[in-house]
Parts: sequence; structure tokens; C-alpha cells
Amino acid sequence: MTEANPPSRPLDVDSTAVNWKLTGVLVALTAIALFVLDPRSVFAITEVMIFVLFASALNLVLSYSGMVSFGHGVYFGLGAYGIALTVARFDWPIWAGLMAGPVLATIAGLVYGFLSVQLTFIYAGMLTLACAEVTFGIAHQWFSFTGGESGITGYVVTRLGLSPEMFGLTVLIVVTVSLLLLWRIVHSPLGLVIRAVGENPMRAGAMGHNRKTIQLIAFTISGFFSGVAGTLYGVFHGNVFPDYVGAQFTLDGLVMVLLGGLYSFSAGIYGAVIFKLADNIVSHYFELWELVIGIILMSVIILSPAGIAGYVNRLLEHLRRRTHA
Amino acid sequence: MEGVTLFLIASGLTLIFGVSLVINFAHGSFYMLGAFLTYQLYPHILYRTVPGFYITIILCGLIVAVLGLLFEVLLMRRVYHTEHLMQLVVTIAGVLIIRDLVKVIWGVNEAASPVPDALAGAVVIGGNYIPSYQLAMVAVGIVVLILMYAALNYTRAGIILRAATDDRGMVALLGINQAYVFSGVFFVGSFLAGVAGGLAASFEAVDYLLDTRVIINAFIVVIIGGLGSLSGALIGAIAVGVLKALGLLWVPEISFVGAYLLVAVVLMVRSFRRSVE
Repeated sequence: MTEANPPSRPLDVDSTAVNWKLTGVLVALTAIALFVLDPRSVFAITEVMIFVLFASALNLVLSYSGMVSFGHGVYFGLGAYGIALTVARFDWPIWAGLMAGPVLATIAGLVYGFLSVQLTFIYAGMLTLACAEVTFGIAHQWFSFTGGESGITGYVVTRLGLSPEMFGLTVLIVVTVSLLLLWRIVHSPLGLVIRAVGENPMRAGAMGHNRKTIQLIAFTISGFFSGVAGTLYGVFHGNVFPDYVGAQFTLDGLVMVLLGGLYSFSAGIYGAVIFKLADNIVSHYFELWELVIGIILMSVIILSPAGIAGYVNRLLEHLRRRTHA
Repeated sequence: MEGVTLFLIASGLTLIFGVSLVINFAHGSFYMLGAFLTYQLYPHILYRTVPGFYITIILCGLIVAVLGLLFEVLLMRRVYHTEHLMQLVVTIAGVLIIRDLVKVIWGVNEAASPVPDALAGAVVIGGNYIPSYQLAMVAVGIVVLILMYAALNYTRAGIILRAATDDRGMVALLGINQAYVFSGVFFVGSFLAGVAGGLAASFEAVDYLLDTRVIINAFIVVIIGGLGSLSGALIGAIAVGVLKALGLLWVPEISFVGAYLLVAVVLMVRSFRRSVE
């Protein structure tokens, strides 16, 4: 089979330095919103933040490492299972459970990632799907340990007993720190190698970078941050169900990243915010929000493959030129 | 029995992949449309008779095939030049859109289409009762298999299709319009999905979640058999069908994951073989 040359990707326009001003403003605005708005909105914002982290972690794999993952729900869900199982089954203290979530997700990322990087593109993607379904099967069938379909509930006090505002603030801090770390990773020498492998594995290989090793590192890192998001989600709701590792969360994550726009760091942020807004607002007035998402997705791809992040970046660039001129 | 529908879906999926290299997530949605259309139309076409049943299924297959063709011409065609991921997005968006449309038209309840009266009984073969409907389905499966084999090997279109699976650049160089090949393969693939859906409407609970249930199974079949290979789809469908039946009989606890484990093993063996070569 022949394949056309991979089309050139839109150049990454984001610069290396963290835009502290923008970050500060966004974090401050979110924090204020948490304390000003009604509880329902606080609830929604917290959930959006958790998914921003999940989508950004998935974005590391999709946009930069040149891999696909059809099973990222696993690492998210295992974050929640990590704390639920250790606390409910092994009587670990809460703080240890909080550590166990991301650790379990990282281990899963390492193992499944190791298997998947042996293959390329679509076969690797299918293997991540197969691994995910096996995990889902275990979570779903092993009643005595994972609680089967009814999951595990009540292993921690919902939100660790914090008020919605304080828990929202905690999530905000964790997510912000995680995103800054992810940003550092993407723009570190390691991040450059990950991107090089993602864009042209042959050329990167000629420079002495092993595709499998580099992709595995990226996948594991992504697993870790997905696990952090999943742990937050588990604590947020105080429960865990097999669905958390299932196909729906995987699909939601994929849709978020693709909506936000591939090959941009902010894809996860825009994607998650818009996806969850559509979920919360559109579904409130209009039952068919999946239809809306589907149509938005189609139009984004066909009209502007760089996604929403592409639009915003272009707008920012335009404004920057304006102010400098 | 499930094997027949699986084979039909998987063969469509694998044909489409073989030529266009598109992993068509929307394929399961076309299957679901076939099932719902059969449920809708059968009462109006010689209801409960065998000829009416076959006419309905073929008609629904054709309707779905036209929809598949429109999907290709209006949407997929715009993204062939982009990356695989972008193509995936379009098919996933297709899944979301079709699912909500199905919800609007047929609601969220399960729909079931009756088996034709003549096929409602059972036949005794070697002391076992085998429902006639299952035999009829197996017959359909064999007919489709023979037709496809003949079409692929002895017709001009089939030869072009195989050539395109092998090397689409070369086919284009030979002066064959690629756009027609791509559209044609979506038409045929969607037709197969529609027919499979029509057959399934009589024994499976048909609801708006059928698409994801079926597409994942179809992927398993296609991966086990090898992407782009028609005989692979047949072997994969049989393997998965048997595995599920035996799994339920012997170890129901892991029947759920058995097929996925098989996929993982097949993929790992593949990668191992390749690294040895």
C-alpha cells in the first residue's frame, strides 16, 4: 500500500514562554467565578476544569507524539479506581489513596503504552482500544473487588468534605499546576523530541531518537495527568463506576481535543470548555446536543482543521500585530 | 448467527478501509439505520412473508447505500487529503449526528421487527432444534459471500477495487477516476451494513446505542482478520462468533473480554512478526 506524504501541519504558533499575564487573569477570573456564582455553576466549572486537564493530557498524545489513543478513558477512570480501591478495599488513608490514583493510571499507561508503541498508527490505536475494553471488562465483571456495574461508592466524603467553592479552588490549583507542568514538558528538550518523533519518526530516528521509547514516555506522562484528572473526578463525585474507564469518556475526550483543534497546546482547554458548555447549556434547552456537537465538529474540520484554537491563535496574533504596529 | 451480520458489517468496513484507508466509525451507524429502516418499512411490504422480508432488506440496504454515498461525496471527499485523524473526526461526527437523528425519528425505545411467519419455526438437524431464521441468515451470508467473491474476482469493478486496495496511486496512473472508486466502495460498504442491520432487526434489540455496540465488534473482526482483507473478515467473524458462544458456555465471566484479548494477541503477534522480518 502506498501512502501520500503526510500533509504539512499548521505551524505551532504558541511561543515557548508561559504567558503569565493571560494565565494569571484566567485563573483569577475562574477563582472569582467560583465564589460569586451559584452552586450549580460552581459544580459545572469544577467539572469543566477536570476535563480541561483530561483533554490536555490526551492532547499530548494526539497532537504531539503522533499516536492515537482510543482508550484514554482507562487512565482517567483508573485514577478514580486507584483511590476507590485502595481506600475502600485496603483501608489506606485518604492521602495515600489520592497518590494511588495517578500512580495506578501511570502504571496502566506504561504497560498499555508499551504494548501499543510496538505498532503504528491505526493498529496501535486499535490496541489501545482492546486494552481499554479488557480493563472495562475487569471493572465490570470482578464484582468482589471492583464492585462490578454498581461500582464503589462512599469511599470518601464527597469533595473530601470541602465546600463546593473550596473544592473548586483546590481543583483550580491542581489543574493549573498540571497544565503548567504539561506546558513545560511540551516545550522542554524532551517535548521537542516528542514532537520530532510525532512529525517525522524516520528523521527523528536518524537523529538517534527511538520512536518507541519517546512515544512510550509521552503516553505514560499522558496517563499520569489523565489519572490526576480522574482522581479529582472520583473525589468530586465520591464514587466510581466501570463507565469511568469506558468508551464514553474516551470518546468525549477525543471530541474535546478535536473540537479544540489539533497541534495546539490549548486544544484541550478550548475543547473541554466548549464541549461541557454545550453539554450543560445546549442540553438544557435542546435535547439533541450530540447533534450540535457533531455539526460543530464537522464544520470545524471542513472549514478550519486547526480548530477553535486555530481561530483564537490567529485572532491573538492579529491583535498582537495591531498593538505593535 | 451473529457471525453472519458481523461478517457483513466487517466486510463493508474492511472494503472501505482497503481502498480509502478511512477507518469509518460511522459504519455502525449505517448498520443501525438499516435496522431501523427495516423495522419501519417491513409492515408496508408484504408483511410477515419471506419475499417481503428479502425485498425490504435489499431496499433498506440500497437506501443506506445512497446515504453512505452522500456521506462520502459531501463530507469524506473533503478530508482525504488531510490526516487520518481528521478523517476519523468526520466519521465520529457522523456517528453523533446519525445517533441523534435516530433518537428524533424513532425515539429511545427498543424496536423489534418480526421474523417472517414461514421462518418462525425450527428445523431438526441431527437431533438439535435450529431456528429456521438462523438457517435463512446463514444462507444469506453464504449468498453474499459468493456474490462478493465473484464480483471481486470476475468483474471489472471488482478488479479495479482490488487493485485500488493494493496500490491506489498506480490505479490512478492507469487512468481510472479515483473519485468513482472511493464513492463506489462507500456505496457497496454501506449497502452491506444496511443489509446486515435489516437482518439483525429481527433478533437483536434495536435502539439508538446499537451503533457503538456493533462498530466495536466489527473492528475486532476486522483486526483479527487483517484490515483490508475480505477473507480475513470472514475468518474474523467466525472466530469472534465461536469465541463468544463458547465463552458464554464455558467461562461466562471472561466472555466479555475474550474477544479483546484475542485482538491484543493478534496485534502483538503481528508486531512481533514484523520486527522479526
